Amino acid sequence: MVRNKAVLLVFRLVLGGLFVYAGAVKVLDPLDFAQNIRNYDLVGQSLSFIAAVVLPWLEILSGLFLIAGVWKRGAALVISGLLVFFVVLTAVTMIRGLDVDCGCFGALSRKAGLGVILEDLAMLYLGMCLLFQKRGTSP
Amino acid sequence: MRADNPLSEARRVLRQALVIGAVGLIVAVAVHSPLIKRFVRGEFRESFFQAAEYPGVRMITLAEAEDLWAAAAALVLDARARSFFAQGHVPGARNVPADGSGSAIPREILDRPGDMTIVVYCEGGTCQSSLALAKRLHDEGFKDIRVFSGGWEEWTKAGLPEEKGDGQE
Repeated sequence: MVRNKAVLLVFRLVLGGLFVYAGAVKVLDPLDFAQNIRNYDLVGQSLSFIAAVVLPWLEILSGLFLIAGVWKRGAALVISGLLVFFVVLTAVTMIRGLDVDCGCFGALSRKAGLGVILEDLAMLYLGMCLLFQKRGTSP
Repeated sequence: MRADNPLSEARRVLRQALVIGAVGLIVAVAVHSPLIKRFVRGEFRESFFQAAEYPGVRMITLAEAEDLWAAAAALVLDARARSFFAQGHVPGARNVPADGSGSAIPREILDRPGDMTIVVYCEGGTCQSSLALAKRLHDEGFKDIRVFSGGWEEWTKAGLPEEKGDGQE
């Protein structure tokens, strides 16, 4: 795990920024995102709607907390939890052989597949470094 | 004085995460309250489709789809995957699989007049690809797109004619 303060600061800004961006594009069009969730064919119409309303704000807030350096470990926990969920979701979707848009970054989204999983794992690594940093050593 | 043992530290982090989650929930409800009210009133239960955003796209029943097909009054598009299409489809339908990565609508279809009637369908039940295709056709400038939401399931149940093979002329 990375311990260098400057590197951890960069991790925080990058990961926080990515989550704020990912959340913001979804907040702008909740129904489109709801459709994306529905396409995964795991939850029904109502749950898709609820997730589409709440999830983007969770991404934005945890991203903002991370960038601001307030409650960074709590924010890193939320983000890491979301990423673990995304990885499992994408893997299950691949195994089921579904061809769906990942719905992850608005217009920059592409098919839910290995590329998406690798990206999520890379972000998860940043999240883990931030989550398990020693208290008091953080920037 | 704060205890610094790992357990209380873990609790602290967990508490932070829960508060962030709760604040997220509150902000989401506050910001999207108009949309949530519409949902509570019963909208979006069938699809997340806002008719006002897609003028020219509307849902049709089996009877209307059959009439349009029998009169050859519409171009029929099948939004299912190629393999399903090959196993059986509405006679004369063209296959435009609407996969997630948004495969292109064939040029030959895009070149047709924008005011022609197009019927789109997919498997039926909860399938979403016909609506996705309808939205894309709308964005391409087509003005009369009818989504046969009962889809292939209703068509075969009604014992209507079917055609096999990949059917692409």
